[in-house]
Formats: sequence, C-alpha cells, structure tokens
Amino acid sequence: MRHISKIRIMVLAVAVVAIAIAAGCKSAPLRTEASTSGIRAAEEVGAAKVPQASLHLQLAREELELAKGLDAKGEKDQAASMLLRAEADAELAIALSHGDAERLEAEKAMAQVRQLRKDNP
Amino acid sequence: MKTKQFLILVTFVALFAGCATAPSTELISARSAYQQASEGPAGQLAPAELHKAHEALVLAEESFKKDPDSYKTKDLAYVAQRKSENAGALGAMAVDKASKDKANADFQKKQTELVKQGKQDLIDSEKQGKQDLSDSEKRTAAAQAELDKRAAVQATKDKADADFQRQQAAVQANKDKADADFQKKQTEIVQQGKQDLIDSEKRTAEALTALAAIAAVKEEERGLVVTLSGSVLFRSGKSALLSSAQVKLDQVANALLSVRARNLIVEGHTDSQGSESYNQGLSQRRAEAVRDYLVQRGYPSDRIQARGKGEGNPIADNASPEGRANNRRVEIIIERMQTSNQ
Repeated sequence: MRHISKIRIMVLAVAVVAIAIAAGCKSAPLRTEASTSGIRAAEEVGAAKVPQASLHLQLAREELELAKGLDAKGEKDQAASMLLRAEADAELAIALSHGDAERLEAEKAMAQVRQLRKDNP
Repeated sequence: MKTKQFLILVTFVALFAGCATAPSTELISARSAYQQASEGPAGQLAPAELHKAHEALVLAEESFKKDPDSYKTKDLAYVAQRKSENAGALGAMAVDKASKDKANADFQKKQTELVKQGKQDLIDSEKQGKQDLSDSEKRTAAAQAELDKRAAVQATKDKADADFQRQQAAVQANKDKADADFQKKQTEIVQQGKQDLIDSEKRTAEALTALAAIAAVKEEERGLVVTLSGSVLFRSGKSALLSSAQVKLDQVANALLSVRARNLIVEGHTDSQGSESYNQGLSQRRAEAVRDYLVQRGYPSDRIQARGKGEGNPIADNASPEGRANNRRVEIIIERMQTSNQ
C-alpha cells in the first residue's frame, strides 16, 4: 500500500512538471524590457532633437511595435529577432545623441579658446 | 588585429559565396559599416564597442552560412550594422571628447596665463601706482614748499613794506621835526642875527662915539676911517710907538675890540719929505707897528692888515708945516659889515 502511494506521487509530480513545461513553452511572454528601456533612455538623452538620432529612435519604436505584432501573431522567434533590431537602433540613437552633445560641447570649447586667444593676443 | 581577422573572415566568406547564395543587402551594409568603423578612431578609442560589432557580424555571417535568406540572418546583419555604426559614433564622440578636453585644457591654460599675467599686471600697476603716488606726493610736497616759500616771501615783503611804511613815517616825522627844528632854529638864528646886528650896531655906535672922542672919524666909501696923527704915535723918521701913543692906542683898541668882528686895514701915510721909497718903507713899518699893537691887545690877527701907502695919498698940502703934519698919519679903516648873521 505504501509502495503504491509513492509511485502515485511520483507520477503526479512528473505530470505536473510536464504540464508546466508545456504551458511555459506555449505562453512565454515577449521580453521587451531591453528594447523598451533603450528607447526610454534614448528619449531621455534628447534623441528626438538630434536629426540622425531621431531617425534611429523612430526605427526602434517601429521595430518594437513590429515585434509586438509578430508576437501577437505567434511568431515568437521573429518577434525576438525584431526586438534585437529595436535594441540596436535605440542603442545607436543614444550614442548619436551623446556624440552630438559631445560635438557641440567640443565646438563650444574650441570657440571659447579661439575667442579667448582673439581677445587676449 | 580585428581588422585582420575581419579580412580573413571576409575572404573566407567570399570563397564560400562564390559557390553559394549572394549576401543580402543588410549583410553587405553590415560589412561596410564594420570596415568603416574599424578604420576610424573606434579601433583605439572605442575598442569594446568595436569588438561587440565584430561579434555581431560574426553571428550574422554564421547565420548567413546556415540560412542565407532567413529573417534571422537579415536581423543579425542589421544588428551588426547598427553596432558598427554605434562603435563609429562612440569613436567619433571620443575624438570630440578629446578635442573638448584639449580645448578646455587650452582654455584653462590660457586662462591661467591670463590670470597670472593679470596678477603681474596688477602688481606692476600697483607698483606703478605707488610710484605715481610717490611722484605725486613729491610734486605736491614741492608745490607746497613753493607755496610756503611764496607765502614766506610775501610775508617778508609785507613785513618789509610795513617796515618801509613805518620807516617812511619815521623819516617823515623826523623830517617834519627837522623842518620844524630848522624853522625854529632859523627863526632863532634870524632873531639872534637881528639881535646881534642890533648889538653890533649898538657897539659900533658906542665905539664910534668913543673913537670920535679920541680921534678923527670919517665915514667914507671904503668904510669908517679913524685917523690918528703921526706925530702923536711916532717920533720923526721912526716907526716905534711912543709911550704916549700907546695910551691913545689903548683907547682906540678898546673901542675896536667891541667891534672885533669887522676887518681892519691899518694904512700908514707920510709927507713928501724924503725919498718916496723911504717914505713907503716908513709908512709900512708904522702901519705894521700899529697893527701889531692892536693884535697884542687882543684884536684877531686874521682880521687886520697893514699897508704902507707912502706919500701917495696926502690929505693936505705938503708945502706948509701944518699940511705935512696932517699928511703924516695912520688911518684905521673899519670895513663895512658884510651882510651876514654874525
């Protein structure tokens, strides 16, 4: 009696695990955190105000939406691959924004030096 | 090193590509982007990002080998392109940052130099200011000294003017006093002169009265002439005074001494007997004898002269004894008083 009970428990556990695995594979949510946070970061650094960065920010947004659409259609692999595009564009938008700011600051610093030298020959 | 790996990879892929499917546009762009990034500053300034781009490109190439036309290959190539562009952007940003840092450093350096120069200028300016202040103080002191000097000169001048005024006033007072004294003295002198004249005239009158009693007195143009007879005074042919004559002459001398301020001329005269030269000498000696006696009696010697007139000035006829007796005479001429205060 006791032996039968152990077997039943083991079978039940295997069944529960199998059901869980099956359920997890079928309903795994799309991991958009990286792309979403990348887009938010790009927005926060002012990518919308830098023409080239703005383009890539827009691409990242569109790619995120495409990924969500693909996910909704059940094209999970393609959606995940599309998210990689969104992440890459968001990352590039951030770099371009920083680069533009850096360029402006460099130009400003050099202009200051030129002006200083001009004012104090 | 990464570029070399990339080229080997590209060559390897190209060999494969020759007998396989042509790469997608995404992969071509990714390769180009990576090449551009690796040739730029990212290799040195953003090596980590360039490495990520390289790995992404490797994944894309591997995917391309497995499934050239798959969406996965295209997406991986797209990601590789973006990562390459990201590396390039970071490299450029690093360059800009280096430029900015250098510019800021230059700015700081220049600013430091300016501050240093400014401090030096300030020190120089303060030094010059102190020098200017010192010069100004010296000039002010010199000007003050000049002013003091002028004030002292002015004070001296004022004092001299005041002294001059005082002296002038004193001189004027002295002059006025002297004038007053002079006027007073002059008045006194005039008064005294008048009194003296009155006294003199009085004495003269008294003397004339006295002389008239002892001798012949006659007023002539040359003065008052007192005539003494020669026979009374001298023996014949002699020039020594007789003792009786001395009594007579004493009386005459007393009268004359009251008018001793007058000049006297004692003239000796003879008659015409004897030679003229003899008579001249005799008359001279007799005149001198009378003069000497009068001087002896106190009449001033500088006011009395003796002159021998010889026989040249007879007052009577020498033909008769009486006439000759009258011609033998001594005349004492009392000259007229000169107009003076004496």
